[in-house]
Amino acid sequence: MALEVRNLVVGYTREVPILRGVELTARDGLVTVVIGPNGAGKSTLLRAIYGYLRPSEGDILHDGRSIRGLSPHRMLEEGIGLLLQGRSIFPAMTVEENLELGGWIIRRDRARLRRAFEEVYARFPVLRERRHDPAGALSGGQQRMLELARITMTGPRTLLLDEPSVGLMPRLVDEVYDEISKLKGEKFTILMVDQNVKKAIEIADFVYVLNLGENSHQGPVEEFRHRLEDIVREWL
Amino acid sequence: MDWTMLADPLILSELVFQGLVRGSMYALMGIGLSLIFGILGIVNFAHGEQFMIGTYVMYFVAAVLGLPFAVGILFAAVALFLAGMAIERGLIEPLRRRAGRDWLVDSFVLTIGLMVILQNLAQIVFGTRRRGITELVPGSLELAGITVTYERLVIFLTAVLIVALLFLFIKYTALGKAIRATAQHAEAAQTLGIDIGRIYTIGFGLGAALAGVAGALLISIFPAFPTVGYQPVLKSFAVVIIGGLGNIPGAIAAGYLLGVIEAYAIFFLSAGWQAVLTPLLIVLVLIIRPQGLFTAQGERP
Repeated sequence: MALEVRNLVVGYTREVPILRGVELTARDGLVTVVIGPNGAGKSTLLRAIYGYLRPSEGDILHDGRSIRGLSPHRMLEEGIGLLLQGRSIFPAMTVEENLELGGWIIRRDRARLRRAFEEVYARFPVLRERRHDPAGALSGGQQRMLELARITMTGPRTLLLDEPSVGLMPRLVDEVYDEISKLKGEKFTILMVDQNVKKAIEIADFVYVLNLGENSHQGPVEEFRHRLEDIVREWL
Repeated sequence: MDWTMLADPLILSELVFQGLVRGSMYALMGIGLSLIFGILGIVNFAHGEQFMIGTYVMYFVAAVLGLPFAVGILFAAVALFLAGMAIERGLIEPLRRRAGRDWLVDSFVLTIGLMVILQNLAQIVFGTRRRGITELVPGSLELAGITVTYERLVIFLTAVLIVALLFLFIKYTALGKAIRATAQHAEAAQTLGIDIGRIYTIGFGLGAALAGVAGALLISIFPAFPTVGYQPVLKSFAVVIIGGLGNIPGAIAAGYLLGVIEAYAIFFLSAGWQAVLTPLLIVLVLIIRPQGLFTAQGERP
């Protein structure tokens, strides 16, 4: 389920594009990481792929099919999940209700929904323990787990992760990357945007560097490990 | 005034019941307003006009066509649900597409405009004459020494039934959960496949239907005329502020609380005082608990 971005031009206004012809491929079953300085357009890229912003030029292909112009609420049906930046649980609803909404598009298929619950609870036992608690009462790390669990309920094969560790305590940051590594082991296609360059590189297979809305470097992660410091220095 | 009446259980229970009838209207109106604010982020100034349309629907169904009042309530609910959805689709949705940061101001101007248009439309079509029904349900019964008219009993029980149904719908059905999710984090709801545009439309329709039902139910107290919605809408703003913006159980509690307080104020202080007490209560709540009496800090429904 490769995700391809071709010559993408996107902006909040037509005159000032944030992305100016971005090219990118998230390869099947691999972790692709997009890094870059603040304002490079990383989050804008994910939001544009997911349909929150309408590109003025270019195309987005998922598994060879164009998904450009689809609304965000159609993306899970296409097999693409998005982990939003920052807190995105429904705090006043229980953990179980949050997960149930994760299964919104399969809500009429009771058997499949039940299986999804079993899988998620097996993967995140703590969510089963706390299933009747309001999601807002979970710790920051558990909330992230719930968000991850919620977007995988319907079994999308491609995941877009927008700054998965931002705003978490250092100890929890490791937990989140461990979880993403597990997803990597299960051959999800992952496209991740991250400020935490070091951590992201550790689990990446392929790296893209964006700067000022344009591709600046790209390549397999092996080529990046030793050049990383030079690249980050360029941003300062 | 005679303070010994404060100790008279008959008078007190009579006032509580009066308050519960008033409170039924405030709760229905307040829930509708709160629902619309919670889901769409709109302060609906045309809420009173949806109440007004409800009174006209009831008048035509019950007085002109001579059908039972239950049919009038059902018609009001359906008519306002459809009208609310049409308003959302036709006016609010196109505005949301264009509006950005100024959503509150833009939607304020829209609903104020809608209020003026609906009032004047009603005046052109129906004139300014008050069309009321003096008694929806005749008769009364003695209950523990106080006389309760069937009319009031029916208003109260119908309101309780509707509030209960709404509560169950929001709490337990899939659509109800999607509505709550959208109110709490619309973008996240969208990533899970929920068509939030549809939720906005249904949410506005539901809020309007509640106002319409309130109007239909209260026709013996508020006859149909173009500006009948003023007083109910002011009360529902009070209810929403006291109960907490977007907090539906809070709106129910605040609605009945306000109803009872007003009944006491009218009896013990004379009519007119409720118009002073309600704003006073709002000011007190805003000073002491600005998030509303029934909302924890920072919490959303």
